[in-house]
Amino acid sequence: MPEISRHAIVESSAELADDVYVGPFAYIGPKVRLGAGCVIDVGATVTGQTTLGAKCHVFPMAVIGVAEDSQQEGRCALGQANRIREHVTLCGGVERPTILGDDNLVMIGCRVGPEAVVGSHCILSNYTQIDGGATIEDYVGTSAFTFVASGMMVGAYTYVVGFTGIDDHTPPYAMVQGFPFRVRGVNSEKLRRCGFGEEDIRALKDAFRQLFHETGAAVDTKTLKRLSAKANLNSHVRRLIEAVQHHGERRREP
Amino acid sequence: MSPLEVVREIAPLARVAAEAKIGPYCVVGPQVTVGPGTVLTRRVTIVGRTTLGSGNVIEEGCVLGAVPQDLKYSGESTLLMIGHRNRFGPRVTVHIGTEAGGYLTRIGNDNVLRDGCHVAHDCYVEDRATLGRNVLLAGHVLVQTGAVLEDMAGAHHFTTIGRFAHVGPRTPIRRDVPPFTDYFSQDNERIPPAVRGIHRAGIKAAGLSAAEETELLRALRELFDDESALQTKIEQLENMGVEGEAAALCEFVRRSLGGVYGRYRELFRGQLPPEALQYLPPELLTAFRRSKS
Repeated sequence: MPEISRHAIVESSAELADDVYVGPFAYIGPKVRLGAGCVIDVGATVTGQTTLGAKCHVFPMAVIGVAEDSQQEGRCALGQANRIREHVTLCGGVERPTILGDDNLVMIGCRVGPEAVVGSHCILSNYTQIDGGATIEDYVGTSAFTFVASGMMVGAYTYVVGFTGIDDHTPPYAMVQGFPFRVRGVNSEKLRRCGFGEEDIRALKDAFRQLFHETGAAVDTKTLKRLSAKANLNSHVRRLIEAVQHHGERRREP
Repeated sequence: MSPLEVVREIAPLARVAAEAKIGPYCVVGPQVTVGPGTVLTRRVTIVGRTTLGSGNVIEEGCVLGAVPQDLKYSGESTLLMIGHRNRFGPRVTVHIGTEAGGYLTRIGNDNVLRDGCHVAHDCYVEDRATLGRNVLLAGHVLVQTGAVLEDMAGAHHFTTIGRFAHVGPRTPIRRDVPPFTDYFSQDNERIPPAVRGIHRAGIKAAGLSAAEETELLRALRELFDDESALQTKIEQLENMGVEGEAAALCEFVRRSLGGVYGRYRELFRGQLPPEALQYLPPELLTAFRRSKS
């Protein structure tokens, strides 16, 4: 039997796994499904057509699955072992669900907009604001007060420095900072932690040095062409090149 | 409304003083102590091994004593200590300490934390500090007496904000902020964060004697008019024989220079910070020493 506080409100049609805990003053909506070992803490709200995978922990006062348009029903899909900290808002998507992968840490005061997609193993630091329809790939880290504009993509393994505004797609493996943001280098510390070899990191650093303008504002098109034509390129560098080509060359005043 | 009608959940083991006021929809956990005259207005959640002194006012939606966001934290039993007469605005969050950081997060007396502030694990906020809206303190930060952080300032882990320093709005604090200085960045860091003046209101608030004030002002001008060759300038000042706050300023800057990236407290990574020796209960102090040996 799930352990439900006498002060919690759990709608009768909600599907709760056996060892779910629901704290006082929490609300679980009628179309919610909570996986095994989920903890919904004091005063948290989970509503809309929302599923939480196993072992998700929703901390006090977080709100999950409320659509921005109050007439509509929000949809959210969370994978396993996500930690949703205090005062976080995960908006429910209307056309598509808002998606979080597995093992994310969403820190205090973050907001993930409707229909945004967050990959797995991300750490979104305090007050990260992700607008609707943005995409955050796997292993992304953000620092405090990061803002990701609607529809933008933050590439895998990228680290976003505090107070940065992401107003365009970022390449993967990068360290980005400022508003408008600049590519400052390779997120080598994270890559090492994720088990990348020194060979790969060196190749990526080399590629970044050639590819980005001195200020990190724009991509050097000639280098991009030259590198993409190259055979036997390092697989990570290939991924970087493809992502940059896919995003289009960012044309900004350096 | 009589207190009997109030819907709230206070664990039977919690030690709540008779004179404390606990409003509707509050949750107080079993290991919590709430002192006399402390007011939890509404929807306040207090969990963990948290001690609140007397005369605090905690507003709506605050969550105190939740587990740290640190990935190294693995369920150890750590403390949050809050002193007397603090004011917490709505949605303030304060976390308990971690084992590696010295078991303790501490907030002193007479502080003001405005809405949405976050004080992370192992932080020490001394007395009479003001944290503006949505100010974020990362782990292991020390905010000294009388410091003012304006709205949306964010402190990097292991930084120290010096006595009566002033940090401007939206300023990232990546290194120690010296006491009595005005530290800010502007225009999305196109003007990068740095010491940009003297915080005169702070000097006034500190209530220094006229002689001490003159000496401090001279030392501040000497050091920060042009922030180069700080080490030599400190030596010069100390050879001239500075005292009181000016000497403390020199010591502060010297420590920061000796730290990692201008952060003195980085030197205490994985060790007990000096403040823990002062405030930590003796049984935890011995436990920490045993775990390290």
